[in-house]
Amino acid sequence: MSHSLNEIEAMSKRAARGAGLSWGLAEEAAKGTRWLSAFGFPGTEMLAELLTLNDRIPPVDVSPVSLRAEVWHAPARRMSPLIAGASLSDCAVRLLERGTITMENVSLPLLAVPFMGGAALRLGVPVAAEWQGARLATDGRQLCVQGEADALRTAQVDRLVFSAPAEMTGRREPVTRAEVCEDSWDTLGGFAHRTFAPATEESRLLGAGAGLSDND
Amino acid sequence: MTDILCRDPNTVMRLQRLGSIHQSRLSFMRLLTRRLAREGWRFQQTAFEVNDKGEGHAVYTAHGPDRAYSLIAYAHDLPAEKRSDRVIADAWDATFTLFDGVPTAADIERLSHNIPVQEAGRVTGTELSVSRANRSVRLWEHVVSELAAGRQPDAAQIEAVGYLMRTTAVYGSGKLGAADREMIADRAEFRAPFQVEMLSVYLTRWFVLDLVQHMANLRAAAAGAEAAQLSPELARSMGIGNSTGLGMAPFLLNHPVLFNNWVAARENAIRAVRNLAKASADEVALFRELVDRSKLSIAAWHSEHPIQIEKLGDLRADVAKLDTYLAQHGLTGAQPWDVLYSWAEQALSLEGQEWIASLILEPYGALVDGFAEEMAADNTATFRIAGAMSIGDLRALLKDVYAWAIDIDWQAPENRARAWYVSEEKLEPRLGERFEEPIEEYEQPLAPGRDAAQLYQALAHWPDEAQVAEFLLRHPEHRHVLRRAQIVGRAPYAEIRDNTISDRVLPIDMLRCKLAFFGATQFDPRSDRWVRICMYGNAPLPTELTVENADFWVFPDQETVLEETGA
Repeated sequence: MSHSLNEIEAMSKRAARGAGLSWGLAEEAAKGTRWLSAFGFPGTEMLAELLTLNDRIPPVDVSPVSLRAEVWHAPARRMSPLIAGASLSDCAVRLLERGTITMENVSLPLLAVPFMGGAALRLGVPVAAEWQGARLATDGRQLCVQGEADALRTAQVDRLVFSAPAEMTGRREPVTRAEVCEDSWDTLGGFAHRTFAPATEESRLLGAGAGLSDND
Repeated sequence: MTDILCRDPNTVMRLQRLGSIHQSRLSFMRLLTRRLAREGWRFQQTAFEVNDKGEGHAVYTAHGPDRAYSLIAYAHDLPAEKRSDRVIADAWDATFTLFDGVPTAADIERLSHNIPVQEAGRVTGTELSVSRANRSVRLWEHVVSELAAGRQPDAAQIEAVGYLMRTTAVYGSGKLGAADREMIADRAEFRAPFQVEMLSVYLTRWFVLDLVQHMANLRAAAAGAEAAQLSPELARSMGIGNSTGLGMAPFLLNHPVLFNNWVAARENAIRAVRNLAKASADEVALFRELVDRSKLSIAAWHSEHPIQIEKLGDLRADVAKLDTYLAQHGLTGAQPWDVLYSWAEQALSLEGQEWIASLILEPYGALVDGFAEEMAADNTATFRIAGAMSIGDLRALLKDVYAWAIDIDWQAPENRARAWYVSEEKLEPRLGERFEEPIEEYEQPLAPGRDAAQLYQALAHWPDEAQVAEFLLRHPEHRHVLRRAQIVGRAPYAEIRDNTISDRVLPIDMLRCKLAFFGATQFDPRSDRWVRICMYGNAPLPTELTVENADFWVFPDQETVLEETGA
């Protein structure tokens, strides 16, 4: 079914929060999923897969141990692309100084790619991400993609390298609507549901502050 | 002469003041009617197929210089027990969508399965909004029965309610599958905020007047008689009501850059006028005329809510004080608007101060209307956290922007008595009692003051030279409010500088603020978290709109009112 990008963003934010991410990271997950969907990738499917994999685990286990390390790695030997991506965006200036930031054992690396869009806008130069069989580069507005669908969609990579400044070849423009696979939507809906308080008669009356009749 | 600066965000962004804001030249309804008139938009009713039970559809098309938009209205026969202005309702007297272009019969058929069920339906990228409205049962019946009996309805009864229908939600920007704002934001007519919604409501008002006449005609015909035609003056005096609950309060907190841009536009306009060295005779005359016309709407403003009754009492006293001031001092001296505003700041209530602050903009369209161009927001750039910022700079920023919050004792139950949450029923935003209801685990991030104070505490043992990126890696729980603090550092009017979860918080202050930017008047709180208002009261109907009447309609015309009471 065709969805608006705002619907995707709103659903992704609630789902990420429901799966235990902090509000700030849930916002990043939502912007990222929207970004991927706008470039025709199955953003909601990949987010649903990641949230299922990391459901309510302590974030520190799948976060980089140190941002100064030569190669970023996570204690659980499996790094969340959302947390790694958010850190990459926070380290945009450092990325340009170092030229590259390398990460090990990253789950669903495509989910980290939207964050380099943010970094590219901040730096004013294109940023690239490369892993086995895939290379993507963006200036924040357009995207160039090289690689087969399988490689792009891979569940985990040993090595993910971000670099700046990067070359842009073959540009893809974002679209304004997205086709969403219903299964992924239902999975995200299940996570999102955890953020909603069950309705009670009391909250129905008190919490919204209005009566139920409008006959005046 | 000293240059007067914009008002301090620590003054402007307090809830009590935001809850006293009045509409202005920069309000979204007036931006729309000025544009429609200036560009010579044409309006057409292209379908009206409603049966004797009041069921059917109608289409109203607005033709602009480059594009057309159509309101598709579905009318329903709603039993009284289904009539609720709550978001959790599932049936309404009328439902609407604003369509991008002119709909085909197939579009109208497709939407007839989706618009009447609102949240239970799906729309597409050609639909720009989805909304619904319920009748004011009292006034509707009065108008239908009087017209059917061949008489004009009673002006006093119309004035007491102000509208025939009130909308209970107007969804835009991608909701239910509709077009995202980003799809249309580059069209000149939609660049300013909420223009889709304002156009939808403006056309809705026209439909409602046609529908009430239609129902009166049918009732008269059934009795073998002919109904009276509603007089244009009475028709024009009616607006569209709106019943607004808590959903709007989180909006201001969730769109900090946009909110900043609204407030900053108005503050820049106020500053520009305060800096004028003198006022011409024409400008003073217009101001005085609008003061007089404002008095009529202030006199007609009713509320049964104790808080608003008190505020209205203060405002009416302020009106008298302004009369005295103008009689004694006039506006002929140097920097007359600054002198007037500075006097108001000392002498008047917050309602009175904000009334004056909006009113002094009126004679200066050429000077201030351009600020409206800055009211929209693209959040892309502000969303990203500047991770290279030092902890020392962050600490200084927090001390500057959130000093009011750092000083609050957040352990005291009264300072965090409430929690914002979302109910699973149609995702309705609600405000609950933290210590009495099991809601804390569902709390939404709508208490930036508390969160900023917690962030400030968490930084206490971090060295100044460390970077924000390092801190966030260890403390993702502070990511939301840290982003916010950086936004407010660049956009000083982005933050409500008050406690949004205290036992004394009044959500109606946030609702009032947002609705005033829409251009609403006649705020009538129904509780501390629910408000009714009127939109487009006294506005010319689309077919009457001219450059002459497109701007000051919000101020009732003395002569019109006198004619009506004399009739």
